[in-house]
Amino acid sequence: MTANGDATVKVVPVRHYGRWVGVAVVGLFLAMVVHTLFFKVASAKVVCHVVSGAKVCQHAMVYRYQWNIVGQYFFTSEILHGLLRTLFLTVVAMVIGIVLGVTIAVMRMSPNRVLSSIAWTYTWFFRGTPVLVQLLFWSFIGAVYPHLTFGVPFMHVTFIHFNVNTSLTIMEACAIGLGLNEGAYMSEIARAGLISVDEGQIEAATSLGMTRRQTLRLVTIPQAMRVIIPPTGNEVISMLKTTSLVSVVGVIDLLGAATNIYSENYEIIPLLIVASLWYLLVTTVLSTGQFYLERRFARGALRSPPPTPIQRLRADLAGVASKFRTRRGVEVAS
Amino acid sequence: MNEPMVKIRGVRKSYNGIEVLKGVDLNVDRGEVTCLIGPSGSGKSTLLRCINHLEKHDSGELRVDNELVGYELRNNRLYELTDKRVCENRSRIGMVFQRFNLFQHLTVLENVTVGQMKVLGVRREDATKKARELLARVGLKDKESSYPSQLSGGQQQRVAIARALAMDPKLMLFDEPTSALDPELVGEVLEVMKDLARSGMTMIVVTHEMGFAREVATSAYFLDGGVIEESGDPRVILSTPSSERLKNFLSKVL
Repeated sequence: MTANGDATVKVVPVRHYGRWVGVAVVGLFLAMVVHTLFFKVASAKVVCHVVSGAKVCQHAMVYRYQWNIVGQYFFTSEILHGLLRTLFLTVVAMVIGIVLGVTIAVMRMSPNRVLSSIAWTYTWFFRGTPVLVQLLFWSFIGAVYPHLTFGVPFMHVTFIHFNVNTSLTIMEACAIGLGLNEGAYMSEIARAGLISVDEGQIEAATSLGMTRRQTLRLVTIPQAMRVIIPPTGNEVISMLKTTSLVSVVGVIDLLGAATNIYSENYEIIPLLIVASLWYLLVTTVLSTGQFYLERRFARGALRSPPPTPIQRLRADLAGVASKFRTRRGVEVAS
Repeated sequence: MNEPMVKIRGVRKSYNGIEVLKGVDLNVDRGEVTCLIGPSGSGKSTLLRCINHLEKHDSGELRVDNELVGYELRNNRLYELTDKRVCENRSRIGMVFQRFNLFQHLTVLENVTVGQMKVLGVRREDATKKARELLARVGLKDKESSYPSQLSGGQQQRVAIARALAMDPKLMLFDEPTSALDPELVGEVLEVMKDLARSGMTMIVVTHEMGFAREVATSAYFLDGGVIEESGDPRVILSTPSSERLKNFLSKVL
């Protein structure tokens, strides 16, 4: 700071008064939210005590959202079993969806017309019908195919044969149904990723003598992952909640468990909160995983990778500390 | 052994009915450095890409090391080679691109080892040893753990040359290797190429660097409109061009 040759001239930052007003308004709303969520209010219920011989009656003070009941049901085995089913459905459906999606994307980009139009038709069909309809269909699959046989039609050649009604549970049918539906969406995500890789990368791989398969596995897919991961994370989180549709066909997932409980004790809101908190918790874990996965696949794409939240926190703290030191007049080496 | 490394006779190629190569003849002997020059759209890059079968030529004879590129002659018929065979042949022809095309998700060292390991089946230790030698040769010994995006254009292009050399090529193709570089970075890449030429590598270079052509090349071909207009010793044809088109071209480039 040597304006006018004076070493002591101070910089005065611009004051953002508009932002301060904004912060005040948002802060007010936040206080209201906190108040309604976590502070007790007078309920309709009247409770009477005998205080030094006289009977005193007053409205009972309760949490509007009945957190005590939420806590009571949070770890019950029925809820936890439902959570396990939800996680099972999410994982299986996403694994099917991702494998199918990449396969269909590669087929779609094949120079062979038959392969690419089959891929297009698949996406068209499974994106074009509601997932709930598909789930209902798969849960009744045993009625359409009591015995499932894979073979060559018209030729009496059989590869695999099994009884659908005895060997496929409704939950497994639901996982397959959700997976097949997800495959259609994932194929578009995978295709976007594959298209995003520069043609020059593929040419370079080809000129080194790599086959199409090697090029795809060693060059195209690793670079496409950077584009594929964020929307896939989105799909996983979305799938976590789409699985709640299975309660329609009688699978007791997380939401199904909560519904079962409140249909007996009528504590509707607290049990919906129990389910929501579990969904939020799992979403948080998934988002964290996504962040680190993205970082892993961003290698080479950015000159310096973005800091992890922990690194950022550390940097922020260091920043505040150094500001504090300068305020107190300690010279900070520049 | 006296067969030329690259022998091209009457090669034609068209895209969507537009003919870009209209019957090209070209010979490159072993250890020769050949420059292809000409205005943009003259077909020089297409010709280069036909030599390692990145593009399929429509007709004509194209041989590298006396073997037909992309085809096999049996019973007087040309059979298209399987992908695997094409890849095998291609792995012995190095190519350097205008836009470097380094694998962005791999480090410099991995860029130079990936082809050796996955295509040639070299063990990791041997591939790494060779990669380090080549990186030292192009003057980038200390950059092996960097990613391509952290390097300058000139450095990236030198890594690309090392990557191609790692495959033990018998022929190196350069597609305007200095056209995407800042002027002050051109020299370092040309220096590596000159060193390579002195070591006896057979090279075909598509370039606009007339100085390089004059100094290093043993022959030069001037392409215009899909045909070779003029060819010969670069010191002769670049100084005293006989065709009107080459005169015209040189007056614009120099």
